[in-house]
Amino acid sequence: MKKIEEVLNEEKRRLADMAPPPDFEARMRSALDAKPSIKQKRRNPYVIMAAVGVLCFMLIGYNYNALAFYGKKIFGYEEIMTGTMKDLNDKGMGQIIDKKTTLSDGTELIIDGIMTDPNQLVMYYTLFNPQGLEDSLDYAFIGDEITGFLTNAHSGGSMSKVNDAGTEIKGTMYFDPVSPFSKKLTLHFWQGEEHREGSITFPYDPNKAMQTQIKQSIKETVKVDKGSVTFKTITATPTLTVIEGKMDVDNFNRLHFGFEGVKLMANGQSIDNMGYGVQSTFNGSKFDLRFDGLPEELHSLELVFNEFVGYQKLSEQIPLGNNTHHDLEGKDLWIKSVVPTERGIEITIETDWNLLLDGVSIQSGDKVTPLKTTIGQRLDRNTDKFTSERTMVFDTKSMPEDLLIEGFHYVKNYNHKIEIPVD
Amino acid sequence: MNVVRLVKKAKRGSKDALLELIMAEKDAMYRLALTYMKNEHDAMDVLEEMIVRLYESIGQLKKEEAFYSWSKTILVNLCKTTLRKQKKVVLIDNWLSSKEEEQVESAESNGQQLEIAEMLSILNANQKEAIQLKYLLDLDYQSIADLTNVPVGTVKSRVFQGLRKMKEHFGGEGIEKDRGSVE
Repeated sequence: MKKIEEVLNEEKRRLADMAPPPDFEARMRSALDAKPSIKQKRRNPYVIMAAVGVLCFMLIGYNYNALAFYGKKIFGYEEIMTGTMKDLNDKGMGQIIDKKTTLSDGTELIIDGIMTDPNQLVMYYTLFNPQGLEDSLDYAFIGDEITGFLTNAHSGGSMSKVNDAGTEIKGTMYFDPVSPFSKKLTLHFWQGEEHREGSITFPYDPNKAMQTQIKQSIKETVKVDKGSVTFKTITATPTLTVIEGKMDVDNFNRLHFGFEGVKLMANGQSIDNMGYGVQSTFNGSKFDLRFDGLPEELHSLELVFNEFVGYQKLSEQIPLGNNTHHDLEGKDLWIKSVVPTERGIEITIETDWNLLLDGVSIQSGDKVTPLKTTIGQRLDRNTDKFTSERTMVFDTKSMPEDLLIEGFHYVKNYNHKIEIPVD
Repeated sequence: MNVVRLVKKAKRGSKDALLELIMAEKDAMYRLALTYMKNEHDAMDVLEEMIVRLYESIGQLKKEEAFYSWSKTILVNLCKTTLRKQKKVVLIDNWLSSKEEEQVESAESNGQQLEIAEMLSILNANQKEAIQLKYLLDLDYQSIADLTNVPVGTVKSRVFQGLRKMKEHFGGEGIEKDRGSVE
């Protein structure tokens, strides 16, 4: 027998010769394309501006009186503050910073103020350039992280609004919380097209940070079709309410739906959803759901688990024909066309946009061919709902008679409520 | 290629940037997946799942420069989860990739892979993983520790114990067979 090392070495050489299949890139791309584009926490500036426009209209409309009053509040940001942040600012909960630096393209960056609590740091900044600012902030200034003593806070998201002349941007940026032991903080950012690093340091007074209002465990588990979701803790600070938990749900990623169907109700009113994050761990995933700050007078708090990804098992055998409609346990499936191409057999279908078939194959006589890939997903708006049209490709030449489906992933109503006791 | 810049773009939702990052390391990623999954089909399935997972969670990646170690860790975890789900006994026949069978000198390769499969079969799962990553993919101890989420010392000991076990079992380098020893 050969020496162990020799055998291992030979195997290593064999493996080193193995190249990825020629369709590697195509498969990676189609896997990605099958996913709808993710709304990252850093939102599209155009959407923001539209949203800010509406928000600004509403805020000024509703709060005209309040705007006349200001004490120690950070001034000039009313238009891009959400309700809670604005209330806090009106009460003078922020810290005025007023530090300046100049970016590589000559734009002036001013840190006007910050607001901190144990859930996050919110920064208020201004970008000013009399020559006019870049159309896309991505090429001028991107906040990256804030460092300080025991502090390394990463940026979460931002909102900004440009003035009519295009010379000034007022914006807020959201960061992880900073340590109460920091006396000085440094903002690190990227500037210019080359994304060169830059930084600005400013003083911080931890005594002015706002305190946690509620921190308690929830420890409730909701069983879903393909696993379970456990809500562990809730931490409410004046600016933000964070619910953390973990889950082990096999098909969570099959739909782009996430936690949109989970709501937080305070005093019977829904609290604005500020986003959620999911992080894979070895045995499942950790998640955090972020909601706006809670009302000061709190009588009841309830987590409503309305909709979440579900799975419906099927054993359907559907005779194939062009332009036919089928009912899958109450869900619509339209088969638009079945055509042979050089790729194989292509079947174009349409369903609700948040429905994903599982275990699909086609049958021709005794021969069963599993789905190879799905291409060309297109979202459509039909009267009252979104639908998704896509083409399934099967690697066979023989015209199929039937379509076999083992099940589907969909948005299911769970309607589960979790009461969180408040004192 | 500027990894940090591409990661930032991917974080802002650019699929092309993520794809470019993956394509730059496609050989390494493919071989890593192949080491666990044993055949091209399963390896590609896991890689597809990986890129989707990366796309969805890249916002959580704090250090851009750690993109590759982060993504490979996710790949390894996905491989393990998939294997667990399949509860798949890796038969020696399945060890061969479909490609390999088409090769002319397959007879000789078969023999060699039988040999290595047999050698590795006496190890426990952790030792086998460590030996494969170290000797077949030529990774250093630190990278293996990162991928498998254990301290470097543990990796070294797994590799050492694994090698010793194989040598005791199959002879080779003159270590006396000592079946009485407790491991």
